[in-house]
Amino acid sequence: MLARRPFFITFLAPAVLTAVILAAAIFEVLQYSVREFIPGSLNVGGFTLANFAALNKPIYWWVLADTFFISLLTAIFSLLASYPVAYALVRAKKDWVRSALVSLSITPLFTGEIVRTFSWMLTLGTDGFINSMLRKLGVIDMPIQLMYTRFGVVVALVQFSMPVMIILLATAIAHVDRDCEKAAANLGASPSAVFWRITLPLTVPGILSGIVVVFAWTMSAFSTPQLIGGGKILMISNLAYLQGFSVLNLPFAATLSLVALVCALGSLALMKGVTSRIERRLAVN
Amino acid sequence: MTATPTQEASRPITSQEAGSAVDIVRVRKDFGSAVGVADVSLTIRKGEFVTLLGPSGCGKSTLLGMIAGFVTPTAGKIVVDGADITDLEPYRRDIGMVFQSYALFPHMNVHDNIAFGLKMRKLPAAQIEAEVRRAISMMKLDGFENRRVRQLSGGQQQRVALARAIVIRPKVLLLDEPLSALDKNLRAQMQVELSELHRKTGLTTIFVTHDQGEALSLSDRIVVMNKGSVQQVAAPVELYRRPANGFVASFIGEINALPPGRCEVKDGTASLVLPGIGPLAFPATPAAGFAPGRQVRAFLRPEHVRPASAGEAGPNIVTGTVEAHIYQGSHTITRVVVEGIGLIETRVTGADIVASAPVGTPLALAFDLGEAVLLDAGE
Repeated sequence: MLARRPFFITFLAPAVLTAVILAAAIFEVLQYSVREFIPGSLNVGGFTLANFAALNKPIYWWVLADTFFISLLTAIFSLLASYPVAYALVRAKKDWVRSALVSLSITPLFTGEIVRTFSWMLTLGTDGFINSMLRKLGVIDMPIQLMYTRFGVVVALVQFSMPVMIILLATAIAHVDRDCEKAAANLGASPSAVFWRITLPLTVPGILSGIVVVFAWTMSAFSTPQLIGGGKILMISNLAYLQGFSVLNLPFAATLSLVALVCALGSLALMKGVTSRIERRLAVN
Repeated sequence: MTATPTQEASRPITSQEAGSAVDIVRVRKDFGSAVGVADVSLTIRKGEFVTLLGPSGCGKSTLLGMIAGFVTPTAGKIVVDGADITDLEPYRRDIGMVFQSYALFPHMNVHDNIAFGLKMRKLPAAQIEAEVRRAISMMKLDGFENRRVRQLSGGQQQRVALARAIVIRPKVLLLDEPLSALDKNLRAQMQVELSELHRKTGLTTIFVTHDQGEALSLSDRIVVMNKGSVQQVAAPVELYRRPANGFVASFIGEINALPPGRCEVKDGTASLVLPGIGPLAFPATPAAGFAPGRQVRAFLRPEHVRPASAGEAGPNIVTGTVEAHIYQGSHTITRVVVEGIGLIETRVTGADIVASAPVGTPLALAFDLGEAVLLDAGE
């Protein structure tokens, strides 16, 4: 098409420009990661692999493991919380229920990450909504610690990722052939058997892509763990930020960013392999 | 959506109903203000092959959906094997169904598709295996057990759908236009297989189709539906030869509708007097329903209209102008416009008529009125 309509090439310009700038930025990170850190200076020294050697400390492995762990928890809980919503969104009989669910699940996408995180701080804080609620109800005497915990971070990240998860799941659920569900019922499957044996297996592709997308997305989360974790919960982006802008060790921050990138790409590739194997076995696509 | 209790619906089940396989008692389904199925009553005997036939939107699929339990009737009741199942959930009904799209489970292989209903019934594994194997060999699917259903041809998918439905030994087998997705040759073959399957299993079968050819060749009885109502219930031959009304007459096969006229007996000859045309003579035995003075519309199949031989004259011969020939291989349908009557189709063996009566030339037609269907002129 491009050969016959050369002017289409013009339309590629923005994409090419973006790609070039991104590649340049990543290259810059790459070259920073192999430079010597000069304490007290923003300038960097000569070539060194010391930054990568410095990675081999329990604290960094711990942060990396925690990042994986939080991302996985977020993906799983996001799935569990989103599936019923997506199911209701697709299957609700009343039009207004469907449109209400669509607006409720999509609008969070249009509020910024900071705004949403700040709302969670108000909710989870010592004098926040949950604690004052529980205290008024007499369930607890002392406020429970929700801020600066892994639990708080995961809760906020789950809510943050739900719109995307819901969209992916709703698409998958909408594609399920209703006749298959009817056929199962006709063959004696109770409504719950229909769900577990037909609907759920047929939506596995959507479930897998939802998990992959949310996992990768959460791997790079920054402001939510930064504000709600408050330095007590560190994900890899927060560590890179700390190194780059508190310690001003830009080369090591670059190394950490690179590690984060490689880990994200690596886990995506791994998941892709796993999911395509599951999908082949189910033969849903 | 609650059923209006009528006297009919609340009366006790009679012994006669207990002997029948399916009793549909004044079943009605409204969609908002539109009527989907209007007060249909129908009794289907055990082992019978009954076809619901009608144009799309006539309510046949809705009726089938109500028997399967996917559609809740607005009123009336459905009795299967003597038990009222009107309010029973679909999965408790023991009714097998083959869907138009087959609705095979794409994430299961052929074996697991067929075994699904038995697994849901929690039968012992050994029994499931035996039953599945029996169904597989009955539907000639041996060797396909581990195939993905997506890897099967249309005809094979059809057979899996049938095997899956009959393996549960249903009280009734419902077939929702199962042949419509197949190409013509395969459709003819599946028709044969369907009637063979029915003969072997003896299952009470309700078949939904809009194809009159399928209906005529497969059914013990045909239920013709239009606009939610039953038009006629009859055996295929009866339906073709004695349609109860104009809709059935023109829906089943081709038929010529003559303008309204009056039955008369003059000088000992029974005839049909058409205004502006004059009398057309019946043979010695007039068509069923002939009564002097009765206002009727006569319907005549194309095979009962023949081109008159040269020089032939008589009181049942009319002349028109050839409008078109539709050559169909074994026979030719010739359309003739007759003044005062309208378009008449005649069906002649072979293709000779195409040359002997070119388009635009006059052609004399002899009506075999003894085979005519006489319906009230008000129809």
